[in-house]
Amino acid sequence: MKIAVAGKGGSGKTTVSGTLARALARSGHSVLALDADANPMLGISLGVGPEETDRLLAVRQGVDAGETPHEPTTEGMVEAFGTRAPDGIRLVVASRIDSVAPGCQ
Amino acid sequence: MRVAVVGKGGAGKSVIAGTLARLLARRGRRVLALDSDLMPGLAYSLGADPPAMPPLLDAAEKGEDGRWRLKKGIGPVRAVRRYATPAPDGVLLLQLGKPAADGLPPIMGSLNAFYKVVHRIRGADAFRDWDIVADLPAGPRQTAFDWAPYADVFLVVVEPMWKSALTARRVARIARAQGRAMVLPVANKVTGGADSQRVEEMLGEPLFASLPADEAVAEADRLGVPLIDRAPSSPAARAIEAMLEALGREQTPAR
Repeated sequence: MKIAVAGKGGSGKTTVSGTLARALARSGHSVLALDADANPMLGISLGVGPEETDRLLAVRQGVDAGETPHEPTTEGMVEAFGTRAPDGIRLVVASRIDSVAPGCQ
Repeated sequence: MRVAVVGKGGAGKSVIAGTLARLLARRGRRVLALDSDLMPGLAYSLGADPPAMPPLLDAAEKGEDGRWRLKKGIGPVRAVRRYATPAPDGVLLLQLGKPAADGLPPIMGSLNAFYKVVHRIRGADAFRDWDIVADLPAGPRQTAFDWAPYADVFLVVVEPMWKSALTARRVARIARAQGRAMVLPVANKVTGGADSQRVEEMLGEPLFASLPADEAVAEADRLGVPLIDRAPSSPAARAIEAMLEALGREQTPAR
């Protein structure tokens, strides 16, 4: 199954997502946890740890920096930019807004 | 003063912004409240009507070069006069509005108009004596893309928890990189001195203010009414008022 969790800020999206992912992983599923928030915090609810979550390399920034070799496929990007989370979950952070970004949006 | 309230979702930005705006208006200030959230909430915390459609929908047009521009004759003064919603105590609320079921494309005009209007407000003589209180959407996006160019203070609201603190750190870093405004961290929903201390440790800097956890805030939010009407003498409302005093003191020497 592929689940997207949406809703207003502070309503508990991240906690619901993280708990669903862990529950699925524990019942034997292979789980890809995708953090598509530009302020990505899913790592905390998955159990990666706060400071570690803050330092995770996002795909967008990783590709832009050009320092991480990867196959130009979805699988290759998950492999290169993903992180191991508890219960065997693969966590991928899509993008992170971390600096002043002039111009278009 | 020109304040932009930022932070993580659910931290309490709208309640703080709405209460500050109402308090300033009660002191005789002319107050423009801004809500640039596509999931707007400030109207409820101010006691104003949320609009059915994005108010600035017809304020912008696409030029022949494909770029959005404000329609002829619409500057910041007319935009506020024509599109702002009246709120109690004389506050005027300019809202971005929210998309309907057909998503973002039909309201790109209002998005662009709002952005242009707030940039023109920054230097407009007509607003020189106004106070501005803005409720920015959750997270760092609008701070990074300069949606609050008028701000001379960023209040970074943070709950005593890691997700909130990491967001606050990021938003504060971005606002400071712009170098235009004071950036002041404010703890919210604090249940004691130990909570404030934990927040300071997570942020790595001292707090400007600590606002208490208060059932009156949750109650006002459940009902969708302003805290200042529902419980004006609640601990949270009093703490926001004390913070406003402190903000005044902070700003006086600079002017």
